[in-house]
Amino acid sequence: MRVSLNWLKEYVNLDGISVEDLAHRMTMLGLEIEAIEEPGAEIQQVYVGEILSIEPHPDADKIVVCKTNTGGPEALQICCGAKNMKVGDKVPTAIVGATLPGGFAIGRRKMRGIESEGMMCSGKELGLGDDHAGLLILPPDFPVGADAKPLLGLDDVIFEIEVTPNRGDWASMIGVARELAAYYNRPLSIPATPLNESAEAITGLTSVCIENPELCGRYLGRVMKNVQVGPSPQWLQSRLQAAGQRPINNVVDITNFVLLETGHPLHGFDYDLLAEHRIVVRAAKAGEKITTLDGQERPLATDMLVIADGAKTQCVAGIMGGSHSEVSENTTTVFLESAWFNPASVRKTSRALQLISESSQRFQRGADPEMAVYALERAAALMQEICGATVARGAIDQHPLPLPRKQVTLRHARCNALLGTPIDAEEQKDVLVRLGFSILVEDAASCTFHVPPRRHDVSMETDLIEEIARFHGYDRMDVSLPAVRPSAHVFAPQYQPERALRHFLIAQGLTEVFHWTFCNAQDAEKAGLAPALRDMVALENPLSEKQGTMRSSLLPGLLNHAAYNLNRGAASLAVFEVGPVYAPVWKNDLPTQELHLGMLLHGPSNGTHWSGAAKSYDFYDLKGLLEATLSHLGVDATFEPSTAGTFQPGQNASIVVGKQIVGTFGKVHLAVAKAFDIDPNLYLLELALDSLLSQAKPHGQFSAIPTFPPSKRDMAVVVDEAVPAGALAVAARAAGGSLLKSVELFDIYRSEGLGAGKKSVALNLSFQADDKTLTDNDTQKQWDKILKKLQTDYQATLR
Amino acid sequence: MKAALEALESGALDEIAGIDDLKILEESRVKYLGRNGQVTGILRGLATVSAEERPAMGQAANRVKQAIADALDAKKDTLEAAAFEKQTTAEAVDLSLPGRRPRPGHAHLIPQVADEIVDIFRELGFQVATGPDIETEYYNFDALNTPADHPARDSHDTFFVKPGVVLRTHTSPVQMRVMEKVQPPVAVVVPGRVYRVDYDASHSPMFYQFEGLLVDEGVSFADLKGTLMHFLERYFGPGHKVRFRPHFFPFTEPSAEVDISCTMCKGAGCRVCKHSGWLEVLGCGMVHPEVFKHANYDYEKYSGFAFGMGVDRLAMLRHAISSIGHLYENDLRFLEQF
Repeated sequence: MRVSLNWLKEYVNLDGISVEDLAHRMTMLGLEIEAIEEPGAEIQQVYVGEILSIEPHPDADKIVVCKTNTGGPEALQICCGAKNMKVGDKVPTAIVGATLPGGFAIGRRKMRGIESEGMMCSGKELGLGDDHAGLLILPPDFPVGADAKPLLGLDDVIFEIEVTPNRGDWASMIGVARELAAYYNRPLSIPATPLNESAEAITGLTSVCIENPELCGRYLGRVMKNVQVGPSPQWLQSRLQAAGQRPINNVVDITNFVLLETGHPLHGFDYDLLAEHRIVVRAAKAGEKITTLDGQERPLATDMLVIADGAKTQCVAGIMGGSHSEVSENTTTVFLESAWFNPASVRKTSRALQLISESSQRFQRGADPEMAVYALERAAALMQEICGATVARGAIDQHPLPLPRKQVTLRHARCNALLGTPIDAEEQKDVLVRLGFSILVEDAASCTFHVPPRRHDVSMETDLIEEIARFHGYDRMDVSLPAVRPSAHVFAPQYQPERALRHFLIAQGLTEVFHWTFCNAQDAEKAGLAPALRDMVALENPLSEKQGTMRSSLLPGLLNHAAYNLNRGAASLAVFEVGPVYAPVWKNDLPTQELHLGMLLHGPSNGTHWSGAAKSYDFYDLKGLLEATLSHLGVDATFEPSTAGTFQPGQNASIVVGKQIVGTFGKVHLAVAKAFDIDPNLYLLELALDSLLSQAKPHGQFSAIPTFPPSKRDMAVVVDEAVPAGALAVAARAAGGSLLKSVELFDIYRSEGLGAGKKSVALNLSFQADDKTLTDNDTQKQWDKILKKLQTDYQATLR
Repeated sequence: MKAALEALESGALDEIAGIDDLKILEESRVKYLGRNGQVTGILRGLATVSAEERPAMGQAANRVKQAIADALDAKKDTLEAAAFEKQTTAEAVDLSLPGRRPRPGHAHLIPQVADEIVDIFRELGFQVATGPDIETEYYNFDALNTPADHPARDSHDTFFVKPGVVLRTHTSPVQMRVMEKVQPPVAVVVPGRVYRVDYDASHSPMFYQFEGLLVDEGVSFADLKGTLMHFLERYFGPGHKVRFRPHFFPFTEPSAEVDISCTMCKGAGCRVCKHSGWLEVLGCGMVHPEVFKHANYDYEKYSGFAFGMGVDRLAMLRHAISSIGHLYENDLRFLEQF
């Protein structure tokens, strides 16, 4: 909301308060200032000039030469390209040395050989609206030679204020003035509304019937005859312009002005266009439509409140009028409406119609039923004054559902306890009284107040305490550090293990990525996700189709990450992501959310170095990282061949913990790489973390450092290519007995000598006893057992 | 025998003096001092010498043995020193060549900053709590004193999964989830992803918030101020002015927004702070009695404060990041800077 300082001063005396102090105070009262504008700050030396003569320019068709009196000793000769002025007009005139908005300086210059001693200005050149068609013709009563700036309101300061949703009563000039008047303890002056009512009573002209009092608690109206529709006077136009609105005609301008002034929306109907000249406030009928003032035809629902005449709907109540009964140049009689509509109903209708107006914004925050009375009287008085209207005697005031008058009790000690700052009882009461709360009963410890009807936000003690806090000033509140008592309950047992895991992965040289958790069907398909994972939690109102679902897997995001960075010249990728994935498996009203780990490797693992060639990441780099991660998590897993669609067959494994598949990894499938337009030498992993992180790791127990030396023996056996090498190590470990401390698979060898389809697998076996140095004989016995096991189980032969 | 000893000594010393190779030197040691060496042989021969001559002969033989051993050792030292000198010349490195650096991993800035904030509050006694990204409207709005017709809902631009289920628009629903589990005292902080239908240079449809909640007997607005001022000084460093000003949130009252003096212009006024000298960094307030009602907390007995802030914004302000987009594009050239 734009608040003009000059306008504000009509309601409250702000003498002696600088713009800076005022801005600070508004901020500290909760009127958040988003910007401060001084539209005329740069304008200097622009005066009211009277055009004395207009002569053609001897050498230019489009320029005239004027003599303009700006109050100086001699009239100025000014060349001008405008056409809309005549001799005797008064216009804003920038003399030599003047500056205009944008720092534009006026100098003495020649136009086609004729000297020009200044410039006569259009509205746009002074920052007043967009009208650049001609000069701004000033009212004839502006004194020649006067500084044009204050006369045009260009000495104003505009505060751009954000009004919080709880304070509908602030969304007006009087609302802001009332707050400042209360704070500075100065009187609030509200303009009087003198009316000369005609003999003709309103009761003979119209009637109002409220069919839905729960949606329309109060409805007031007046009838104005002999209305002369025309342009508004300058002062009214300036006010609207300062508020950022465009003047239209005096009737519309008056309703808009009163809206801005009082915060109460009004609506003017062309009385002659209302069927039977009467008003029915009712719910819309099924299938009803209305063409609103913005020219759009809108279908109405039966839970929407409308203002109808004797025949059909004329207005969406509290939101926007219809074009049929709109006030136009031909209007002579106006029915003026001032009502109180149910805030929730207005909000619901406004949302359903996607129609937000100044009016709907105010009604949905809760209007003031008392202000409805003043707003109507104020508008009637202005129409009488400005439009020459004859006001019919009396007003309609149907008030079927008066708002209950709220009472709230404040305990002074409670206020001080909650704020942690002692504020004495007198100050507490004083603040509330200044804000319009009236004391009903009081004793030493507490005080009960009547709440003014405009304060929809106040219904309990805390609301009063907030008022006291605002006025006392948050900056003057005490400061202390609480003695925090920790809760015994652990709310997020996974937080610390997750954090440790992330740091472990970063220490392995992986970079953490953090993606939006959105996905879409196309990416899921491109990534080759299993059908179950393509069934995702969908959004009803996504930002775009690309963010239409919630991701079911981290893989599409990682593939997009690869494409994004490879396209931007990244040589290698070694990244991980720890984050949630979602599934439409509903439990306790919500879809499932799980924490997953994703990894991505691609390109040279060690960067380029002058000392040798780079090594590219491969399957075993990823597997090694996975093994290290599982070891960090204290988890034993096995890997089983898998054929998930994302991966190249033969380079894909499932990660199995217990009997559960908890993840998958491998080399990306060529088709997936093509779909994402990336190099296929790319390795991906996804691991479900929830069960792994929640397994409480036992505290590590010390085992004695061996006193006796280990005895290391190698064993190389030849087996069929189909035998998994890892299986030999597992079998060796199983057969080696307690003396076998470790098995390390250290070489795979193939040659013509071994024969096609054969490979040699070399194991390093480390034997050790806790109580003696092993003899060759001890070791040999175990070694033989292992060999026998490999021969029996895998038809291995010693190489 | 004496003559033989003298000849052996002079011959050996001459020979050792002429050796310029460690291997040959070792052979020479074996030849003289080894188990079957010449000196050893003479010492063994002492057994045949008469008892009167033996001490003198023994002494002489040992002296020769020592002399040869000394010569061998001295020669070894010389040769080793020469060899090492040769090696140093041969192995001298070009110091100007780059080293083999381990490639470090980088924490993403958002979790990195969130971790740091968690640590500041953990020092004060707060504990981490978390909640689901996809939330019921009850927890996201209703339980937080924001019923369906509340105008505050308009400012949230909510993503809907289906009627009644939304992507949480703030981390505040976790307040209620925590309070439903335990009675006070409660002191939690909640980092997490949140979602709003909004996307431009300063808004991302997913962003990251940080929530805090303290409920106990006697918690006051002064405690709220003190806690957040401590946090802001720890996070932004000393020397920033802090301002609490009234604001509105449905689930706190009194409510405040907190500004710090602009990190770019130090309060002088610039584009980043829209020439106000202040930057809004968080919202907070005393927990609203309606929220306590939903949680079955005794409002007369307990009071509390809650606060919420954008981790994205805090990171952007401290690290001078111009657009929120950088945080979610995951461009490695960005990630590797932090």
